Amino acid sequence: MTSGIPYTPVEGLIVLAGVSVLLIIVILISIWKKMGIGKDFIQGLLMGGSQLVAIALVLTVLFRLQEDDNFLWIPPVIILVGSMAIIGGWRSAKRAAKMPGAFMVTTPAIIAGASVSLMVLVISRAMPLKPQFIVPLAGMVFGNSMAICSLTLDRVIREFELNRNVIETKLSLGASSKQAMEELFRMGVRAALIPTIDRLKTLGIIFIPGAMAGLLIAGTDPLVAAEYQLIVYIMIIGGGIITALMVVILSRKRFFNENEQVRDWG
Amino acid sequence: MNVYKIRGVKKRLGKKKVLKGIDLDVKKGEILSLVGPSGSGKSTLLRTLNRLIEVDSGSIEFKGSDINSIDPIVLRRNAVLVPQESVMLEGTVAENVMYGPKMAGLSSDRNMEGLLKDAGLSPSFARKDASKLSGGEKKRVSLARALALRPEVLLLDEPTVGVDPKRVEHVENTIIEFARKRKLTVVWVTHDVPQAMRVSDRIANLKSGRVREVKRASEFEWEGAY
Repeated sequence: MTSGIPYTPVEGLIVLAGVSVLLIIVILISIWKKMGIGKDFIQGLLMGGSQLVAIALVLTVLFRLQEDDNFLWIPPVIILVGSMAIIGGWRSAKRAAKMPGAFMVTTPAIIAGASVSLMVLVISRAMPLKPQFIVPLAGMVFGNSMAICSLTLDRVIREFELNRNVIETKLSLGASSKQAMEELFRMGVRAALIPTIDRLKTLGIIFIPGAMAGLLIAGTDPLVAAEYQLIVYIMIIGGGIITALMVVILSRKRFFNENEQVRDWG
Repeated sequence: MNVYKIRGVKKRLGKKKVLKGIDLDVKKGEILSLVGPSGSGKSTLLRTLNRLIEVDSGSIEFKGSDINSIDPIVLRRNAVLVPQESVMLEGTVAENVMYGPKMAGLSSDRNMEGLLKDAGLSPSFARKDASKLSGGEKKRVSLARALALRPEVLLLDEPTVGVDPKRVEHVENTIIEFARKRKLTVVWVTHDVPQAMRVSDRIANLKSGRVREVKRASEFEWEGAY
């Protein structure tokens, strides 16, 4: 399999510097026009850039270990995947800062969704147990679960605040907290999954998704690339749904105490 | 016999001490009004009676048992609170009225016509979209919705606020009528003392988180100020 990219890492750096000129122009315009995003932009670029370089170095090491045909790559991969879960849970919990203990909702929800997806990928042999497959696919699956987790929790909290009188009316009529939140939870899950479903509908038309783009650049047969992308996508959606449902199940205890009373987050 | 026996109840909301030691009995079958200026703790006290909120200290007995030993869901089906704001749930009037029984898993034997009639609504309301009703109609639906649970106690928070002034007495009479007919115990929060004197058997006057006095409605003296 050829890499498909027509230059070496060093030549790549020169190209990168070249395209960065465009970005610098954008940053200069944003500073000049006082758009107030210049600093964020630079910060984002530095963070994103260094993270990408870091993961590239880690992958280089992992691939070397893999070539040696021993199992030394396993512990670092476990650490890498574990940190994806924790960082994802933490990021997502930061979005729901109002809710005390949100980390204990987001992290298990992300882990549950992502592990089911990854497990099915392994069982279906779509993901051979090699770092070359595990790391990028785990990244995609965890990234998507995190996004869905944030969307679900954000929506549920917002709806809860807006509909607190509806919830209390239902509780007053003898509904359990589970019954009182049913509709709201359904709304949260639905809202969180809409972007994913929309993306599914436009797959291949508006954009060629990450995995397929990578495979095409690497020279894979387009049909095989499309098939693989679909497999990955279906798994990502499956994991996302599980994450959203877990968010709903786990967050109920954050909204209500054991006496079916609304918790005071003050 | 007392339905509620409230002793030394204190409750803080945020930093504010809202209830500062409430002692009060609610007798079976009576209509007891809680009157007092806003901020006197009337609504907060009402919300402790169905355990929508927990007291910080003191005790409340419901029919002789410590309220904390009763499952809150069971308690709320027995002592139904009708909040000041008549929030309509999504759907028709009939769906709203049947919400409580449905959640309790016992909707089939409820007489919709009778419930609507008792709350002062004609049976034709059943199929109407609940969100499109007037303020007074919503109030009546929320009363019918509470009655559908066949409670022993009704906890009413300002049940005539938002009702057309010309219809206030009509709503009052509706409540008194069904309360007597169904032998309900009613705790009726109102800031309107003349109303309390019209509707209740006894009146408890609350002031800054304490019960100032409890009197028979006929003996209650009010000088136009709390």
